[in-house]
Amino acid sequence: MSANGGHDATICGWAVDPAAGREGAVEAVVRGGVLERLTWLSGSAADGLGPTGRLILPGLVDMHAHFREPGNEDAETVATGLAAAARGGFTAVALMPNTTPALDDPSVLARVRASAAATGSPVRVLAYGAVTAGRKGETLSAMGELADAGVVGFSDDGASVGSATLMRNALAYAGAFGLPIVDHPEDATQTAGAEASEGYVATVLGLRGWPVAAEAGSVARSIAILADVVRDVPGARLHLTHLSTAASIAHVRAAKAAGLPVTCDVTPHHLAFTDEWVAGSRRWAWEALDAEGRARDPWADGALAAPPFDTSLRVNPPLRPAEDAAACRAALRDGTADAIATDHAPHTAVDKHVEFGWAANGISGIETALSTVLAAVAAGEVPLMRAVALLTSGPAAVLGPRAGLRPGLRLGEPADLVVVDADASWAVSAASLRSKGKNTPLLGRAVPGAVRLVLAGGRVAHAEG
Amino acid sequence: MTGRRIMTAEDIRRATIRISHEIVEKHAGTDGLALVGIQRRGVPLAARIAAAIRDNEGADVPVGALDITFYRDDLSLVAQQPIVKGTDIAFDLNGRTIVLVDDVLYTGRTIRAAMDALIDYGRPQAIRLAVLVDRGHRELPIRADHVGKNVPTSREEVVKVTLEEVDGEDAVEIERRPGADAGGSAA
Amino acid sequence: MSAGDRPEGAIPTPAPVRWPHRHLLDVDALTRPEIDLVMRTADEMHDVLARPIPKVPALRGLGVTILFYEASTRTRVSFEVAAKNLSADVVNIAAASSSVSKGESLVDTVRTVEALGADMIVMRHGVSGAPYLAAEVFGGSVLNGGDGWHAHPSQALLDLYTMRSRLPGGSLEGRKVVILGDVLHSRVARSNVWTLTAMGADLWLCGPTTLLRGFDAWAARGAAGRRFTVTSDVGAALRDADVVMALRIQKERMASGLLPSLREYAARYGLTSERLRAARPGALVMHPGPLNEGVEIAADVAVDPRSVITDQVANGVAVRMALLYLMAGARRTEAGA
Repeated sequence: MSANGGHDATICGWAVDPAAGREGAVEAVVRGGVLERLTWLSGSAADGLGPTGRLILPGLVDMHAHFREPGNEDAETVATGLAAAARGGFTAVALMPNTTPALDDPSVLARVRASAAATGSPVRVLAYGAVTAGRKGETLSAMGELADAGVVGFSDDGASVGSATLMRNALAYAGAFGLPIVDHPEDATQTAGAEASEGYVATVLGLRGWPVAAEAGSVARSIAILADVVRDVPGARLHLTHLSTAASIAHVRAAKAAGLPVTCDVTPHHLAFTDEWVAGSRRWAWEALDAEGRARDPWADGALAAPPFDTSLRVNPPLRPAEDAAACRAALRDGTADAIATDHAPHTAVDKHVEFGWAANGISGIETALSTVLAAVAAGEVPLMRAVALLTSGPAAVLGPRAGLRPGLRLGEPADLVVVDADASWAVSAASLRSKGKNTPLLGRAVPGAVRLVLAGGRVAHAEG
Repeated sequence: MTGRRIMTAEDIRRATIRISHEIVEKHAGTDGLALVGIQRRGVPLAARIAAAIRDNEGADVPVGALDITFYRDDLSLVAQQPIVKGTDIAFDLNGRTIVLVDDVLYTGRTIRAAMDALIDYGRPQAIRLAVLVDRGHRELPIRADHVGKNVPTSREEVVKVTLEEVDGEDAVEIERRPGADAGGSAA
Repeated sequence: MSAGDRPEGAIPTPAPVRWPHRHLLDVDALTRPEIDLVMRTADEMHDVLARPIPKVPALRGLGVTILFYEASTRTRVSFEVAAKNLSADVVNIAAASSSVSKGESLVDTVRTVEALGADMIVMRHGVSGAPYLAAEVFGGSVLNGGDGWHAHPSQALLDLYTMRSRLPGGSLEGRKVVILGDVLHSRVARSNVWTLTAMGADLWLCGPTTLLRGFDAWAARGAAGRRFTVTSDVGAALRDADVVMALRIQKERMASGLLPSLREYAARYGLTSERLRAARPGALVMHPGPLNEGVEIAADVAVDPRSVITDQVANGVAVRMALLYLMAGARRTEAGA
C-alpha cells in the first residue's frame, strides 16, 4: 500500500522529536515515503533554521475528537473530520463514541472503520467504546467485545459516568484489558442549565454559573474510586479529559504523587481562551493576567472587542477565568497533564446559531489546535519541546501499547511528520476550514503556525497549495 | 468670520421694533395676542418683540417657547442634534392669536412643524408668522406676515443669524455652504 | 463646544452629546453624558405626556415590532404606549419559545419581522444574550426589553429617572441606594449596577447569600472599576439609605433549594416599615413589579407616601419614548453614513 503513495522530499527546518529527546536544525530526506536520512546540522549549515521558523515535528496525535458519524453527518463525517485533522497536523485521531447510535458495540466500530477506509486518508483512526450501553449510564457496554475489536479505551464523553458504582465497575472491568476509562468529569447535579464558568464574568452577563466544584468534585470522586480499584486490579487506569480548573488539576497532581495510575489532558481552548471571551474579549489567556497572576477585568480594561454571547464559545466544560487557564498551562509544563487533546466538537449552524443558553456545547478545534499551542509557545508559556511532546508522545503513552502509536522521527520507517511554519500566520475562516464545523471563536482571526505538509504512514495527508 | 454681513445690530434692533408695530397694527391692539418663539433663536426674538410692545403700548403680551424637534419630518436631524430644548407655553392658546417668531424663513418646513406642534397644545384663533430674515426658496405654501428683511440668496448659501442672548453678538451674515463649491451640485 | 466657550450672558445649554447607539442591548457601555441625554430627553417626553394630546409625530412611518418571548404586561404595554405616543406603527408579537420545540428559530423570526417592515425591535427573552443574536441578523435597531438574568436597560433608566425626579437636588451622587432581594436572578439589579454606579450612587446589593451568588466576585472588581457593596446584612444595608428597591421573590426559588420558605424570607428580608426606620427619613421605596405584598415588601410600605412605585410605571413610558426616539436618530445616521 505504502509503495504506491510513496513520497519524496528533502526538507530543512527545526526538528523537534520528543521521542529522541532532541531538537535542532536538520535536513530530512524522505524517499518512497520512508524517512531515509535525518542530518542534524550545525554551524553555517544551520543558518536561518530555528525554533521560530520552519518546524519538522512528528505527526500529531489527537486523543479526543468527535467526527459525528454515524448519526450526525450534517455536523461532520469521518471524511471531513479526517481532512480537518490532516490539515491541523494530526496523523492519528481517537474518536469519541457519542455518535448516534453510540459506539457501544463492535458493529458501530466496524462502520466507522469502513467509512475511514473509504476516504483513503492515511490518517490513523482509533476509537473509544462507550462505558455504558447507549451512554445511558445504567449498564456496562459490551466492553470485552469492544476491547477485542480494538477500541483504545472507554468513555461516556459528553457526560461523566455519573454513578460511582458503575465507575468502579468500569475501571475494574476495563482494567483487566489494560484499557483506560476516559472520563469527562462533571457532576451533573451542579451543572443543570449552567452556561458559563461561575464567577465574575458569568455574574455580569447573567449567565447561569457552572461551578468549579462540579468538575473538581467529580475528579476527586473518580480518583478516590480508582485508589480503591487498583488494589484489586493493578491494570485499572483512569484518564480525565479536558480538565479546565486549578482545583481539578491539583487533585490529579496529588494523585500522581501518590502513585495512582491516573492521567489527564487539557484542550487548546482551555489553555488559551478564557471566560472573558464570552463577554467579547479576544486576548489570549496569558494576556488576561495581571502582574500578581490574577485575572484582569476586561470591562475596566476596555478589552471587549467583539459582541458578547458568541455561541462558538459555549463549550463543556466552560471557558474558565485566566487563573484556571494559567493552572492548565502550569500542568502542561510540570507533567501533571499528559496530553493536549482538541475535543474537536463540530456543530451545524442550526445547533449553534441560536440563543447562547440553548446552543450546543463544543468548539471545532482540530485545525486550530497546533496554531493555538504555538501561540502559547511563542508567548513563552510552554517550552516548544514540551508542547510537541503533549501533542505526540504524551497522548500515545496514555493510549498505551494497544493503540500502537509510536510518534517520532524514526529513520527507516514510513515518514509520519508535520512541516509547519511557526512564524507564518493564516486566516481562520469558514471557507478555509476543512471541517464542516465552523464553530470556532477564532473565525476571522489570523493565527500563527501554517501547516505546509503532513505525511502519515509515508503518504501525503495534507499539502499546502 | 468669513461671511458677508447683511444686517448689523442696529438693523436688527430697528427691524424688531418695526415688526412689533406691525403686529399690534394688524391685530388692532394687544388683546388676545401672544408670541411664541421657535427654539432656539426665535425665543429671544419673541422676547425682544414683546419688550418693544410693552415700551410702545404699555401692555404685556404673553410669550412662549416652542420646541419642534419631535415634529420634524427628517429624523436625521435628530441624529445631528438630539437635544430637545423644551417647550414652555404657560398660557392657554385657545382663542388667542399666536404670532410664531423665528429667525430665518427658508423652505417653510420648520414653520409647518411648528404649526403642527402648536395645534397639539390647543386651538388658536389664528396663527401668524414673524421672521427676521426671509431668504426665499420655499418648498411649502407658507408666507410670513411680518418680515425684518427680505434677502435674495442662492441655495449654496447659508444665512447665519447670531443674537446677543445665544451667541454674544447681534448680526446676520451670508456664508457659502461648506463644501458647496467642492461638490458642485448641492441639493 | 463647552459652556465655557460661550460669551458671558449667553444662555447655557447642555454640551451637545450624540447618541451613537443603533442598538440598546445593555447599559454597561453607556457613558454618563449619554445617560444624562436620556434623562433630559425623557424630561421632554414627560412634558409631552402632560399635554391634552400626549402624542407627537416624531417616529411617523417607523415600524416598531414588540417581540416578547416572555409574558409581561407591564413592560410590553409600556413600550407599546411609548411607541404609539411617538406615532410609530406598532406590531405586537407574543412568541412562544423553548429550546426543545424545534419551531421557528429566533434568527428566522427576526428575518421575517424585518421583511414585514420593522425598523426597530423591542425584544424580551428568557435567555441571557438573546437580543445580541437578534441584533446580529436584524438590519434595524434592537432595544433589549429584558433578557434572562442579564439586562433590562429601560427599567434601569426609568429607575434612575424616578430617583432623580424624587431625590432633593436631583442627583444620585453619594446617595445610598439599596437593592434588596433576589439579586441572583435579577436583570434589573444587574442593569442598575451599571447605571447607578455611573451616576455616582453608593450602591448596596442585599439578600440571602444564596441569592447573591457570584456578586461578591463582581463587587471585588466593581462595575468597570466603580465600587459597590454586597452584603447579606439587611440592617447594615438599610442604615441611612436614601433609596430602597425591593425585588420580587418567586416561589420557584424554594423548589430549587435557594430559600427555606417565603415566610422565612419575609421575616428576614421583607421590606417592612419597622426595617425602613433605619433608612433616612423620606427614603424612597421602589419596586420594579410585579409585587408580592407581604413577602418582599409589606403592604403598608408599598402604599406609603415614600413609595414611588406608581411613579416608576408612569416614568417608564417617558423613558421608553426617549430611548425609541434617540435610537431612531442613531439608526438614520448610520444608514446615511
